[in-house]
Amino acid sequence: MDNKAKYQKIFIDSLSIESAKFNEKIKYNEIPEWDSIGHMTLMSGLEEGFKIALETDDIVEFDSYKTGIEILKKYKVF
Amino acid sequence: MDISKDIEKIKNFSTEVKKNILEMAFTAGASSSHFGGALSIVEIISFLFSHKMKIKKNNPNWIDRDRFILSKGHACLAYYAALCEVGYITKEQIKTFEKDDSDLLGHPVINRKLGIDFSNGSLGMGLSLGIGVAIALKKNKKENNIFVILGDGECNEGSVWEAAMAAPNLNLSNLYAIIDNNNFQQTGSNKEIMNTDSLYKKWSSFGWETKEVDGHDIEKLCKIFEESEQSPKPKAIIAKTIKGKGFSFSENNNNWHHAVLSKTLYEQAKKELI
Amino acid sequence: MIINERNIKVWSTIGSRATFGIAALELAKEVDNLMVLTCDVSTSAGLDRYRKTYPDKYLDLGIAEQNLIGVAAGLSSEGFNVITTTFAPFQTIRCCEQIKVNIGYMKQKICMVGIASGLTLGNLGFTHCCIEDVGILRTIPGITIISPSDSLETVKALEAAIKSDKSIYIRLTGSSNNPIVNDKDYTFEIGKSIKLREGKDLTIFCAGAMVYNCLEAAKILSEKNISCSVVNMHTIKPIDKDAIKKASEKSKLIVSVEEHNIIGGLGSAIAEYKATLNNSPKQLIIGVDDIYSKGGSYKFLQEKHGLTPGKIVDNILQNLK
Repeated sequence: MDNKAKYQKIFIDSLSIESAKFNEKIKYNEIPEWDSIGHMTLMSGLEEGFKIALETDDIVEFDSYKTGIEILKKYKVF
Repeated sequence: MDISKDIEKIKNFSTEVKKNILEMAFTAGASSSHFGGALSIVEIISFLFSHKMKIKKNNPNWIDRDRFILSKGHACLAYYAALCEVGYITKEQIKTFEKDDSDLLGHPVINRKLGIDFSNGSLGMGLSLGIGVAIALKKNKKENNIFVILGDGECNEGSVWEAAMAAPNLNLSNLYAIIDNNNFQQTGSNKEIMNTDSLYKKWSSFGWETKEVDGHDIEKLCKIFEESEQSPKPKAIIAKTIKGKGFSFSENNNNWHHAVLSKTLYEQAKKELI
Repeated sequence: MIINERNIKVWSTIGSRATFGIAALELAKEVDNLMVLTCDVSTSAGLDRYRKTYPDKYLDLGIAEQNLIGVAAGLSSEGFNVITTTFAPFQTIRCCEQIKVNIGYMKQKICMVGIASGLTLGNLGFTHCCIEDVGILRTIPGITIISPSDSLETVKALEAAIKSDKSIYIRLTGSSNNPIVNDKDYTFEIGKSIKLREGKDLTIFCAGAMVYNCLEAAKILSEKNISCSVVNMHTIKPIDKDAIKKASEKSKLIVSVEEHNIIGGLGSAIAEYKATLNNSPKQLIIGVDDIYSKGGSYKFLQEKHGLTPGKIVDNILQNLK
């Protein structure tokens, strides 16, 4: 599985979204699953899945699927 | 009377207060800070510390000082910032905000050397303290005033109303309750959580000399305090404010009740201050 | 609730407060007459999803804790199964007399959940820490007191509390990334402590977030050839007297560790019973030494008050000399 596919899977699993409901436009607090609890779960899932430790500012600024991709470039995931 | 010089002085003070708030919020890092509720009282606290209150710069224990209580203790960023500008806390000390062993925690802890006259943080307690101080000042025949800043959400607490009932009964003309009416509390607007409705009517019906004012308009703050001065009653100033006022990302945004100020937003905020 | 490895990990990551919110959400599906009452702390207590999903089973009374207890008691008297929650000091001390009269005296059944108890919020100062709640509530007859050791035990405690006919105070400690003590499902029974580690030299009784620290301390001690039992005394009232009696018969030293004042909490509860036994060993009570210290991070305060594994070990070694 490449990292893009892994990234998507982590999103779906961490936020417990149905695959059919998932799309790349999702944003923090715009779907019920991605609330503050969902966010903590997602950040933990990404850290574990990609073996990285996210900085606080990145956790705070990680507000959409797309922004996440840009942030994870810093960690050489993409 | 030309108050334009006073207004300029208070405005400059409030800019410095905002700069200090930014520094502390950024220092707090992942611990977050109560950014929004501090910003809503910047002009009020600047008016008090640079103009209205009888205090001496660099002398926090001056026996004839006016007294101040931040009953909404979580707005301490503004308090510490103001104390810095009057020389009670140094610029180095404010960088220790919320750090281990710091004297400057997320709610004020009594420290008379730093000019922090009381501990606060558990809402609803400050006004009663203020009453005690007001009575003591009168008994000691001092002409000083005592200023207490409360939150509007804080007015949910029953203990606020015990104090509100007592103060007019005790004829405490030297007591000022300033209510920071920014319309929000921790998890939502006042209307959503517990509607306080008309604070003006409530305080007024309890027997306070009650005024409403735009809490960010320095000229109006000057005027309203001057108008209230002569009343024999305790004074309630309902200050209409905006939570998070002063920065584009935080104004009226309740996510900034307690949040992390990232480097990006810190840099943006510094630019907006200029 | 589905208790599996994945959920246990997620709950550990999000911490006991958010886990409480998720557990409440699940309970609301099965418990028709459930009501959750808060004081403007929905997001702090992980209840944001709950309040959006079950608005008719939720009530926010604003920042008014004395009113909270009265309203909760009124609902309970009419047959509702009520949970109240806010930050631990405000949940217990602010409305203490209301708790005494409505819950203790009138016996209206309520489950109170005190969030962020102990020293977690030390950077906000001691108005937002709680080292008094157990001591104060122990003196009110009729209130069971549970301090869950991790996020899974928080779920277990809440489920048990809802089923119980007694009023219960659940004391939540620890922060996010709450270490896992219980890594799989197990039987949780109110009043019955759980021996997590067997040892012959001494017994450490602990509760809440200190359980993990004590397990780590026991590992360090075993490397020094000191064999410890570690007992999770999750229910502080009624205390498991049998466990204390058995430990007193076997151990050279009894140790209690709590994120609470040494006066009035777990250590005191153990000592009160132990004092009635003939020939029981000395007890070392580890906790906050009756002081409001300067604040700081949770880690810093644990260090300052001797509650880290290393500091617990040092203290025990001193007392074994």
